[in-house]
Amino acid sequence: MRPLKKLTLAAATVVGCVVAMPGFAQVTDWRKINTPALSEFKIQEPKRIVLANGMVIFLQEDHELPLITGNIAIRGGSRDEPAEKVGLASIFGQAWRTGGTKARTGDAIDEYLELRAAKVETSADVDSSMVSMNSLKQDFDDVLGVAIELLREPEFREEKIVLAKNQLNTGISRRNDNPMQIAGREAMKIAYGPTSPYARVEEYYTVAAVKREDLLAWHRRFVHPNNMLVGIVGDFDSAKMEAKLRAAFEKLPKGPEAPKMTAEFPDPKPGVYFIAKDDVNQSSIRMVHMGVQRNNPDYYALEVMNEIFGGGFSARLFSNIRSKKGLAYNVGGGVGSSWDHPGVFQISMGTKSQSTSAAIDALREEIDQLHKSPPTADELKRARESILNSFVFRFDTKAKVIAERMNLEFYGYPADFTAKYRTAIEKVTTDDVARVANKYVTGDKVALLVVGKAGDFDKPLSSYGQVSNIDITIPDTAPGTVKPAAPTGSSTQGRQLLDKVVMQMGGAKVLSAAKSLRQNSVAVMKTPQGEMTVEIDSVSAFPDRMRQVMKTPMGEMTMVAAPGGAFMLGPMGTRDLPSSQKDQMLREMNWNPIAVAQHASDPKYTFNIVGEETIGGVKTQILEISADGNSTRWFVDPASGRVLRSSTRATGPTGPTEQVANFSDWKTMNGITLPMKRTIMQGGKEAGTAEIKTFEINPATDTKSWEKPPAK
Amino acid sequence: MRNRFIQAAITAVILASGVSLNAQDLAAFEKKVTTRKLANGLTVLIVERPEAPVFSFFTHVDAGSAQEVPGITGLAHMFEHMAFKGTPVIGTKDYATEKKALEKVERAYMAYDAARRSEVGRDDKRTAEMEKAWKDSIAEADKGVVLNEFGEIIDRSGGVGLNAFTSSDETGYFYSLPSNRVELWAYLESERFLQPVMREFYKERDVVMEERRMRTDSNPIGKLVEQFLGAAYIAHPYGYAVVGWPSDLTSFSASDADKFFKTYYVPSNMVVTLVGDVKASTAMPIIEKYFGRLPSRPKPEPLRTTEPPQGSEKLVTLTDKSQPFYIEGYHKPSATHPDDAIYDVIGDLMSSGRTSRLYRALVRDKKVAAASAGFSGFPGQKYPNLFAFFAVPSPGHTVDEVRNAIRAEIDRLRNEDVTDDELRMVKTRAKADLIRGLDSNQGLARQLGTAQARFGDWRELFRQVDKIDKVSKADVRRIANATFTADNRTVGVIQSTQMAKTKGSE
Repeated sequence: MRPLKKLTLAAATVVGCVVAMPGFAQVTDWRKINTPALSEFKIQEPKRIVLANGMVIFLQEDHELPLITGNIAIRGGSRDEPAEKVGLASIFGQAWRTGGTKARTGDAIDEYLELRAAKVETSADVDSSMVSMNSLKQDFDDVLGVAIELLREPEFREEKIVLAKNQLNTGISRRNDNPMQIAGREAMKIAYGPTSPYARVEEYYTVAAVKREDLLAWHRRFVHPNNMLVGIVGDFDSAKMEAKLRAAFEKLPKGPEAPKMTAEFPDPKPGVYFIAKDDVNQSSIRMVHMGVQRNNPDYYALEVMNEIFGGGFSARLFSNIRSKKGLAYNVGGGVGSSWDHPGVFQISMGTKSQSTSAAIDALREEIDQLHKSPPTADELKRARESILNSFVFRFDTKAKVIAERMNLEFYGYPADFTAKYRTAIEKVTTDDVARVANKYVTGDKVALLVVGKAGDFDKPLSSYGQVSNIDITIPDTAPGTVKPAAPTGSSTQGRQLLDKVVMQMGGAKVLSAAKSLRQNSVAVMKTPQGEMTVEIDSVSAFPDRMRQVMKTPMGEMTMVAAPGGAFMLGPMGTRDLPSSQKDQMLREMNWNPIAVAQHASDPKYTFNIVGEETIGGVKTQILEISADGNSTRWFVDPASGRVLRSSTRATGPTGPTEQVANFSDWKTMNGITLPMKRTIMQGGKEAGTAEIKTFEINPATDTKSWEKPPAK
Repeated sequence: MRNRFIQAAITAVILASGVSLNAQDLAAFEKKVTTRKLANGLTVLIVERPEAPVFSFFTHVDAGSAQEVPGITGLAHMFEHMAFKGTPVIGTKDYATEKKALEKVERAYMAYDAARRSEVGRDDKRTAEMEKAWKDSIAEADKGVVLNEFGEIIDRSGGVGLNAFTSSDETGYFYSLPSNRVELWAYLESERFLQPVMREFYKERDVVMEERRMRTDSNPIGKLVEQFLGAAYIAHPYGYAVVGWPSDLTSFSASDADKFFKTYYVPSNMVVTLVGDVKASTAMPIIEKYFGRLPSRPKPEPLRTTEPPQGSEKLVTLTDKSQPFYIEGYHKPSATHPDDAIYDVIGDLMSSGRTSRLYRALVRDKKVAAASAGFSGFPGQKYPNLFAFFAVPSPGHTVDEVRNAIRAEIDRLRNEDVTDDELRMVKTRAKADLIRGLDSNQGLARQLGTAQARFGDWRELFRQVDKIDKVSKADVRRIANATFTADNRTVGVIQSTQMAKTKGSE
């Protein structure tokens, strides 16, 4: 391989050494600046060794610095894990190293290595796991020793599995905090399908399903020399290193081959997808459909097309969307390619909420233009020059050369693939680019995803078609799982306890006559800034209407949930509430004992006693009430029938939460007895109190109050 | 017993092999470095590293957001964006016409901006007319623009990694090219600092606003950090957001940017470092020819304001839907202070790898956090700055728990000596990391250029390792006691309104 031209000396001669006088404006035409041919550069190919047991080793000497770096890549990654154990490869990748070996704990290895400022780490990727090593050259034997111990006798100590799971669970709990992260993740799910091994993500329950035995089984399944590629680069003598590695690895017995991956790659369902995120002022926009595999003959033309369309400072997307229109800071895209499965065509962009639609239009225009005004000869020239002139940066370190060779070997590509790349790029014509643009970028197939604050958009997303809302609520249990606690019917004891509660409140007759309830209360919430007092006037009209007017130090705020929709009215104007929030408001309202009492004989409601707990010296029975897949728990004093505490589990955007309230100060009005004081608990601590000042059964309400006021 | 024996053996190995690494390295490295101060005051470093026919450079401008005052916050970063917009030769169809159009844009903007910001008696109709006139003038000026020609020349010449950054302390410009393009590079890099043109300024302001929305407004931790620094500093500009306050970002003008450029982009305030397959004997004359064109101007006056002693603890709370986050910071001296290496030792000891104290306490043992670290030099190093600790609580764990765990580790630092092994690990790592840092053209250019600018000598990069080597247990305790006190502390937390529930792993 000789991709680079020989140096012509004459051209390298350099002009004058005299320092020009400051301010002496000599305007130079950059086009006239001499560019000598690039000096001859012989790429140093690594030595390739194949052991009898199938292991392939690459050795690359690099004597510049007294360091040695090694990577051992092993077939088998997250795409090979079972769907019910997503996260397995990742836990394996962490606990392999931290869990230590039969002889040493991971902590002991940490100290052993850190005293040498050396590293041995393990990790897992989509298609492989990796043992990586890095040390000063005199410590390499010690480091290699650790790596071999890990390969042969990993222990996966339980406490490190717990730690690895804790890391994954942290990631899950935080995955909806950042809009760009949401957009990136969900775009892949749209492109590949939500259950595709290339898009699915771990959940609390898939992480919990992973056991130590799974990690040992993974190790037995994949970690064999015939599934391994070893690459060592650094300050060593190849012959000596080869002898050392042969001594270490030759005795490893051959194991079963890693299974080949098969998956389906249909194009995603085109359409408009939306994810609500109200605490941002910038929309994250993605457009996706299926891309190509790298061994596609059109790969080279696509590389050129990508360069013109979305790569670099002079590409169309950057120039038109960012520089010309000022619509974005980050914008880019192109037809993605992967080594052994199709990549994704993707455009990504961030723009202020108020220009979301303008940005979508601009991106659609760019896709259109790719077909309508195919790349010009000048664009082609520029893209080709850019790719070819920067080609040398693929090999400008010996570490990059060996990494490239390992990649080709891993994915079964010919060793001269990269060398041929250059020639193939040189041959790409404007016709080729126009052809692949038409073939691989299809506006009609594009799925559009927007993460943002819909209320601030310049035009509703529905102007681009039927909008599918994506629910990114973090689930607690697998979909379709029958919650083990969900009772199939009510127990006699459960019903009896409910009867006591109903009696204490005033009896079934009085309660069933209460169609609605108005409460005026004062809530004192503890916030990090101090206590905040809120006056609340709420009307609950069971089962489907609720209206709350809150007077806060920041102003008055009204929240309404009604069959016609849910909205919030505040100092900042009116905005719609997402249906998830509406559902939650109504769900909470319907756990009001008055509402529950009205369903005492509804077969959808079940009542069971699930335990006992002592609250303030009173031994309470825990009554679990379930309806429509949701449940709440009342801690009932069986002597008085009073509910001393309620505990409701809800699933919010960040995962399951638990709402606990303690009740006190019972008062009777119009035949109904209710606790006047409610203490809200969070994480075992008091988070606030709410006291009912007055309450009224079946109050008069204005029907208008359920309707959203017209926009001003 | 067995463990202790092994450790003693390890220690002996390290002592034998590690210590001499350093002086040797500097001597060997020095041979590759050529330093020159040009007549206009510009410092040039060339490092010959002929590993492959490529080179990287780093232009260090000793001006960052700390050079800003209210009204122009974000301007250092804004100028950085403008340095990609070209010159009278690059990026224009006809500069004479474009220049006139740009002057018109500026006049129209001045008029509009003054009208829009007048506090009393603003005439909204008139303001809207002025805004329209300004926008029309922009559309006119845009006709003369060749979009992104500066970047395009670099792209098509094989440039990679074209980028720049602005921090509180400095602005840096960098990319890499094949080594046959040294002269083209010297022309382009000097040209953009000889005669930058503020074309497309007001659209680029919008781009920067998008950058702000992405990094700060729509990012909970970004939001918290902005408020945290604002609370930690009442006087020194380290309290300003590097990206700028929205009001300033939507107000400052191209003329402001030009003025900032003329004040701070002075050759004596800049260091240009070239690393790669270049010969100093041939490259230096080229650099002198092109960079010698930059006019010599007086070096900007050093900053007057220093942050007064804090004297009282401060707390910033962001109540947000996102999961909790914790940060606390303590004021400490600048990077040139003799004690600075001690802070580096503390940072490494607390944070580096799985043997670090914060990892072991918060992540491994108490399991209250998924990550935790402490580090020196926040948000910059040039001026007295913060030593900051942060933690990412695990699901269901609170900021109080991670705060208590961090404080317990700080107390240990104040009350007990660090162990011999710990100190040895830190010192060995410092040496090894120095060597590891020498393996990339771009990394070297940045490290050396920054050291040259900050300390007046690139060798400080190597000397820092010597300084770390001299740090004692007593030093660590002394500094911990002097620095980590309540009245020197600012705390920033994200309190989550939707805390994830504790998830048992099994």
